[in-house]
Amino acid sequence: MSKIQPDQGAGSSHLDLMIEMTSEFAMSQDVETTLRLGLTRVTERLHAEASSLFLLEPDTGELVCHASIGPTDLTGLRLAPGRGIVWRTVDLDSPQLVRDARLDPDFANSVDDATGFVTRSILCAPMSFRGQKLGAIELFNKQGGEAFTPTDAQLLRALSMSSALALINTRLVAGMAEQEGFRRELALASEIQRAMLPPPMPPGYPVHGVNLPARGVSGDFYEIVPLADGRIAFAIGDVSGKGVNASLLMTKTASLFRCLAKREDGPGRLLAAIDAELHETGLAGMFVTMLAGILDPKTGRVVLANAGHEPPLVRRDDGFHAIEDGMPPLGIAPDLFADGCPESVVDLNGGALYLFTDGLTEVRTHDGGMLGSDGAKGLFDAFAAMPAEERIQAIVHSLDGAGSLRDDVTLVVVEDVRPGGQSTFIRRYSARAETLAQIRADVTRTARELGCHDDLVQDVVLAVDEACQNVIRHAYMGGDGDVVVQVERDEDLLVIRLMDFAPPVEVAKIRPRALDDVRPGGLGTHLMRSIMDQVDFLPPPAGIGNLLQMVKRISP
Amino acid sequence: MIMQTSQSGAVTVVTLSGEVDLSHSPNLRKVLMDLMLDKKAVVVELSGVSYIDSSGVAGLVEAYQMARKNGSPFTLAALADPVRRVLQLARLDRVFTIADTLEAALK
Repeated sequence: MSKIQPDQGAGSSHLDLMIEMTSEFAMSQDVETTLRLGLTRVTERLHAEASSLFLLEPDTGELVCHASIGPTDLTGLRLAPGRGIVWRTVDLDSPQLVRDARLDPDFANSVDDATGFVTRSILCAPMSFRGQKLGAIELFNKQGGEAFTPTDAQLLRALSMSSALALINTRLVAGMAEQEGFRRELALASEIQRAMLPPPMPPGYPVHGVNLPARGVSGDFYEIVPLADGRIAFAIGDVSGKGVNASLLMTKTASLFRCLAKREDGPGRLLAAIDAELHETGLAGMFVTMLAGILDPKTGRVVLANAGHEPPLVRRDDGFHAIEDGMPPLGIAPDLFADGCPESVVDLNGGALYLFTDGLTEVRTHDGGMLGSDGAKGLFDAFAAMPAEERIQAIVHSLDGAGSLRDDVTLVVVEDVRPGGQSTFIRRYSARAETLAQIRADVTRTARELGCHDDLVQDVVLAVDEACQNVIRHAYMGGDGDVVVQVERDEDLLVIRLMDFAPPVEVAKIRPRALDDVRPGGLGTHLMRSIMDQVDFLPPPAGIGNLLQMVKRISP
Repeated sequence: MIMQTSQSGAVTVVTLSGEVDLSHSPNLRKVLMDLMLDKKAVVVELSGVSYIDSSGVAGLVEAYQMARKNGSPFTLAALADPVRRVLQLARLDRVFTIADTLEAALK
């Protein structure tokens, strides 16, 4: 058996040190502390009188001392790129063993001169991994006067490499934590942004808006600003692009609108003024589509100006009209709005004006297609008689169910609320047996108001009740759901519509019973058909499960 | 809906009043079916009914069918207008045994 060499003995215990330090690095959250601890262990193990740990500072290109052990504290010492043993180690990316510093031309004795420390032997190893240079660990003077050995150099190289790896990992983790923090900030930003949208307007107010967020910060906005003279300024807009930049520009544009709406006369000049303000600061290639208007509730007249936004739709008794006039978006070129922006005048005549972002028309329907302008019209029709503030909620939430929202949906409705404009009843109920009494009471009152005599009221109420029972029993099959009841008079016709949100029922299965058949089932449908002149399932618009229409002529 | 049951000799009288709709008709049906299982002679008094829908009528139809099978009498008495109207719409006024008053039904 050969005698165990002292050096080998030291080597095997160094392995313990390496394992210990590597696992400490791996678990560490605070890299500076770990590096300092590591430096202490190495210094003790290799019997050095002093040591320093330098990290490369990317901004300045200097080596900065982050930890120091020994009679002189070098922490904070900066070494500009140059000669010196540490820089030679980093430049060559290989350990430097200097047996006698005084004989090395690169040795800078300025530190010794300043501190009185006498450097004899130096061992310096680079902290690097796969060519990525992070710094170096430098040991001074082996205790007992000997020089450092090549074995010491190998060990220090191994330890400095594993600490380099630990440092890289820690920086990666820190980067990830920063990203997570950023995500949280973004969520907060989107919350704040939504809080800046106008509050819900009271029932009966002529303008209402809704924003249904897809995810993250939004580029959509709407504004409702009551003016001192009783008119109401409103706007809807969409900033090109996504993310924080877009949302900041959106916030700025919305603030400009709120501020300028009270000063500028008319939506055309308002948009021109916003455009000019936007060009004052850089837009970085972004632009804003925006539609602004002012309603005079006393006349039902709207003045509109459009900068590149989707044409709004007016819904009146004679159908839908798109208001196509407009200019390019805001923020395209500084002189584009120099001559102002053309305005359109729209008389609502008891109807409603719908402003929306492309999130509405581009929403995916069940069949994979896009809702489109016709789909949007169908929705506006379907919920037409609901109070505006409930209607816009019903519309956007029916989209939510129709397909997955990929973009924000923003919708503003502007209505003529002058007396005599609307004579329709519409209300949404929970489809349960317990609500039938309320539905009967509401339909009784409405049918009387619409001029039905008492016998007819009684019959019509029965027909509506039976239709609601069909919704409860056949459409929802006992499950939860809502039913919308709409009652209106069209000349001498009483028109009743029932809408549910259940999967479409097979109409053929709901048959009236044969008259000589006294089985209980099918009686309800027979009653409906006996009472009403017409009972038809109509093709339901998007978002509606079944649409049943019943019509009865009101005899004088 | 309010439902009261009383005995008049061999006949059980079920007095209904108020609104007989989907939220009450299951209860009505259960009471009538139990009486039918006991093969009782039954009169349903309907003068106080302000509203009845197809589900209420269905309960009456089911009771009528069972009574016929059992050979026991089943009579509707003192129909309020809304009841008369629904039975007429359903053409059931020719099916049921109907008495103008409770007294007539009990004779």
